[in-house]
Amino acid sequence: MLAGSDRSYSRRDTILFLACLALAVTALFAPVGLTHGIATFLRESVLAPLVWLQERAEEGRTSRARLRAIAAQRDSAAHVAQLVPALTAENERLRGLLGLSRRIRTPYVPAEVLHQPQATDPRMLLLGAGRSAGVMAFDPIVAPEGLLGMVVSAGRSTSTAMTWAHPEFRVSAYTEEGGVFGIVAGAPAATASEVSLEFRGVAYRDSVAPGTLVLSSGLGGVYPKGIPIGTVLGIIREQAGWERVYSVRPAANPGATAHVLVLTAPRDRSVADAFAADTAAPAPEMPASPPPAPPPPPARRDTAR
Amino acid sequence: MTTTRRARLHLTLVMGLLVLLHFYVRPRLGAARLSPDLLLFALVTFAMRSGAGVASVAGFVVGLASDALSPARFGASALAHTLVGYAAAWGRAVFFADNILVNAAFVAVGLWLRDLVLLLASGGGDRPLGLELAVYAPLQGVITAAAGAVVLFAARQFLDLRVDT
Repeated sequence: MLAGSDRSYSRRDTILFLACLALAVTALFAPVGLTHGIATFLRESVLAPLVWLQERAEEGRTSRARLRAIAAQRDSAAHVAQLVPALTAENERLRGLLGLSRRIRTPYVPAEVLHQPQATDPRMLLLGAGRSAGVMAFDPIVAPEGLLGMVVSAGRSTSTAMTWAHPEFRVSAYTEEGGVFGIVAGAPAATASEVSLEFRGVAYRDSVAPGTLVLSSGLGGVYPKGIPIGTVLGIIREQAGWERVYSVRPAANPGATAHVLVLTAPRDRSVADAFAADTAAPAPEMPASPPPAPPPPPARRDTAR
Repeated sequence: MTTTRRARLHLTLVMGLLVLLHFYVRPRLGAARLSPDLLLFALVTFAMRSGAGVASVAGFVVGLASDALSPARFGASALAHTLVGYAAAWGRAVFFADNILVNAAFVAVGLWLRDLVLLLASGGGDRPLGLELAVYAPLQGVITAAAGAVVLFAARQFLDLRVDT
């Protein structure tokens, strides 16, 4: 054992402890822009080799599963190609078989999620792609099941993303059937068994049936229109005759996601057709043109931006 | 080389190995929330063999690294790990630390304390505080302590540890 182990506490120890405490508290209340800058700097300097190691480990963990998925996709594609003589005409169907990344038409960057063993992990995710891959702050991140969140800061080779589990997450949304608009945010009083979202600001005259799919509306310029957010479970509360708040079961689980797609600009076109087959909604055939737009929305903005 | 210097070198080598294991092996184990937190184990092991001041600085550095990798609230992890480092060094003066089971218990309690401070400092989240502190933190604490006990047992001669419980 080291000699220092049995020392009684000195003045120097107390000063070091208090200094560390003061620095930590200062960091806790420092401006968000500054702390994101410090975090990005640390990730890309002293922590870069460790992040690189973790990326290799994540690749190793998922490579076998990915290989199986790719082999299955290749087999499916080969099967379809053998049955159908006109390969060009079947291109759309093959795109459907090859998963979300092939269906999605807006520019995107695939990224691995580097999970950390901390209680706050599902709220903020570390992604293995950064500015060098084209990722920028406010880029939405999606899983095949639906919306996960958005990038809050992008470094050269890594970035951090806020998920729907974060208390500050907000997204403008509308219902698939009926075009009822509102804002989706995390449920502050979620219980252990049902981690859920809230669909807020729904006009009292509008009612939303349980099971209705809630999609991003595209308002605010952060999230493109048509990304599944979740499914309505029921009414949580009503606000004095002017607003209803609904409980929403999230479509994607940030704690269990290993890979995401970061949607890069432009975000002005709908991505609804890319998700149709992966959500709770009935899976229609891939439309040749985008689905009809919902009724004109009220003037609202994503508050997350 | 003096005994103290050799012990310090051995401890540094084990710490380095734990950091490598944390970033290269732990991600392969699956669920991040239930995989052993080897950084925290390394911190507690180091803190129990150091003075309180050095342990606080080590905790701050580990916390800062955690904040950079998962910045739910920057500074929260630094605060939590500083307190854990200091508490582990302080615990050294109260408990007999040259024992594997005592080390493991320190790790489990340290992880729970870390999660408590981290959750309180970073505010509300997707899961209620009670669930985290009653289920996930103790479970991860036990898993981390068990993994730590295995590491300490394997490195018992290297670290000059007692095996008897």
